[in-house]
Amino acid sequence: MKIVISGIGAVSAAGINLAENLDSLKNGKRNAGPVSIFSSGLSYPVFEVKSLPEKWKNAGMRTLSLALAAVEEALNDAGLQTLLSGFKAGVYLGTTVASQLNDIEFYDSFRKSGSADLKPVDRYLKGNLAEAVSHLVKASGPAVTVVNACSSGTDAVGIAVSFLKSGICDIAIAGGADELNRVPFCGFGSLGILSNSLCAPFDRNRTGLNLGEGAGILVLEREDFYIGRGKKPLLYLSGYGSAADAYHLTAPRPDGKGLESAVRSALSDSGISPEDVCFINAHGTGTIDNDKAEGSVLYRVFGENIRFFSTKGYTGHTLGAAGGIEAAYTAAALKEGWIPASAGFACKDDEIPISPVTENTDVKGSFALSTSLAFGGNNSAIVIERA
Amino acid sequence: MFISGIGIVFTRGRGVDSFEKALKEGWREPSWTGLIPAYRVSQETLTDASLTKKIRRADKFTRMALFSAFDAYVNSGIITENNERLGIILSTAFGPHSTTFSFIDDMLDYGYANASPTKFSNSVHNAAASYVSSVLGSRGPTVTLAQFSFPFQNALALADIWLNEGRCEHVLCGCVDELNAVMEYACKMKLKTAGDGKIRPFIFSSSPLSVPGEGGAFFMLSKEKCENNYGEVTGISFSGKTNGKPDITVIDSDGMTGDETLYRETADSTVAGYSPLFGSMLIGSAFNFAAASLMLKNQVAYNCPVPDNPSGIKVCGSDFSAGINKINCVRICRSEKTAVIKIIK
Repeated sequence: MKIVISGIGAVSAAGINLAENLDSLKNGKRNAGPVSIFSSGLSYPVFEVKSLPEKWKNAGMRTLSLALAAVEEALNDAGLQTLLSGFKAGVYLGTTVASQLNDIEFYDSFRKSGSADLKPVDRYLKGNLAEAVSHLVKASGPAVTVVNACSSGTDAVGIAVSFLKSGICDIAIAGGADELNRVPFCGFGSLGILSNSLCAPFDRNRTGLNLGEGAGILVLEREDFYIGRGKKPLLYLSGYGSAADAYHLTAPRPDGKGLESAVRSALSDSGISPEDVCFINAHGTGTIDNDKAEGSVLYRVFGENIRFFSTKGYTGHTLGAAGGIEAAYTAAALKEGWIPASAGFACKDDEIPISPVTENTDVKGSFALSTSLAFGGNNSAIVIERA
Repeated sequence: MFISGIGIVFTRGRGVDSFEKALKEGWREPSWTGLIPAYRVSQETLTDASLTKKIRRADKFTRMALFSAFDAYVNSGIITENNERLGIILSTAFGPHSTTFSFIDDMLDYGYANASPTKFSNSVHNAAASYVSSVLGSRGPTVTLAQFSFPFQNALALADIWLNEGRCEHVLCGCVDELNAVMEYACKMKLKTAGDGKIRPFIFSSSPLSVPGEGGAFFMLSKEKCENNYGEVTGISFSGKTNGKPDITVIDSDGMTGDETLYRETADSTVAGYSPLFGSMLIGSAFNFAAASLMLKNQVAYNCPVPDNPSGIKVCGSDFSAGINKINCVRICRSEKTAVIKIIK
């Protein structure tokens, strides 16, 4: 059973819909700046969504707002209504922030006085990402929120594919969403991996990552169901692989064996070989360790001529949304036949055997790969196929 | 999918033997040390130098996850040198929120630029699963889910799919949640607490009473039947349909998810509910599933710890003399959706 990608939606600092995002990628726009949605006293640049449509602004539930904007776009793109009550539909979404009760004012009040206004708790309880989206689109199937840190979005897409293939659902809303939030902003700052300048994935002089926010959503359907709707498939989500490093809480395994295993598993799941892949949308955060491990693995598996890039230079690292946004970009790039320049890359790193593309490049081929590496040593990859 | 191993951390100790002992001994009072009566896990239960020497910085949430997962792994007897095809699925409602609050303490006390990186990395929801993976050396897919509705059922469904796809040979699948002062405050303000410390699963009230708990319950799940076998999961349904009458129905009513009147409709066979042993939790299904697994393996119908039964349904107890071949585990969320896990001997 093949799984069709029938709809795509994306929201990030690069744009409030997929077309705007692709335009930013095509024209090298990097909409970063100081954070404006909260105060922190920290000056690291971020990629913030500046123009979220009013209709999606849910006070105190920014991650859900971002997700809903992308869900609506993806459902429209799939030719579906925004209510799925008549279908066997499931919702599979990755996030980090929306899974945590981390309202600072609430907690500060509690620790000072032993009591606090419970509105943040109510928002938290109503804001479980997959459950909230499922409730709003009236999906009758499973609602699964994946919290695998930075690979959450990719894992959510892969899990959705598995549930679709099992027959539990015919349609799935899959991807990820995350907002900029003070707690991870300070957390990543404390880890010393935020860059004071714009990130430069795979570059010799890279100094760390920039945080971002957004949502990337795919509508996935079982092929028989999609064809039954009178549609002709253009893209498939054809493979998913995931593997653990079993190594360290925050650092990737230096030899990249976990990532390699995830990539090979995704290729195997698709029934293809490395030479069938025409490009890779890499995780490429701009940290020293990630890019070194990832670059080495891509070289080892795909060889020196593989074309790859990172889009973190356009969106920042959107954490739980990253896998969803990058799946959306990968699908769109494969469909349109071009890949963007890897923003921020200028100088080859001698410790990374291959370099990303430095200008927009036409691509021909049927398969593309998107990778994610995460805190905790999670590694995931998906393969997208052009029909 | 076969249940090959069980690991439990709960208020009365650690390990499947402790849990079985509690099932035999029946109800005990919760602790009254905090804002509300609650079934808390003691620090003593979470001490094991042989396991924590590699993870000395691990918080309570991680320790509950690691100990229950490790014990399920050992209990299965499936110890292999190569764990490349061992998957891990950890599901939680609230995650390691004590560590999140501890990180926020740093932000408030020392300034936003001076919080502890160790606390931040441990506050990430998937840190616990990562520690489990590191300690066991497991290199298969490792996923953490966060759900308020059906956290255990979704995890179990995913484990079943992974095994059927051939993605894993075995999956360690389980749930963890912790209590702390903030969560107790939220429970006190948002739920009705049983003043006498007794959860009553068979009252079927529209405004039921709770006694919050904490702990971890993990299961080693296998595609093939293993030497140590507690039973076989034959279906996980989210439609509420049961397809046939089980010998026993284990229900999750514990005062955590609102109106419980619909549970009355599941009581067409002998009914059991063991939440009074471990406390009210959104992940309580995992503990009731452990009880059901032990009932199948041991062919014992454990007495329900708080059998108060005003509507006269047939409650599981020592008078149950028939063989136990089929158990349904039922959870109803917010009086809307019903999930049923079917297990056979």
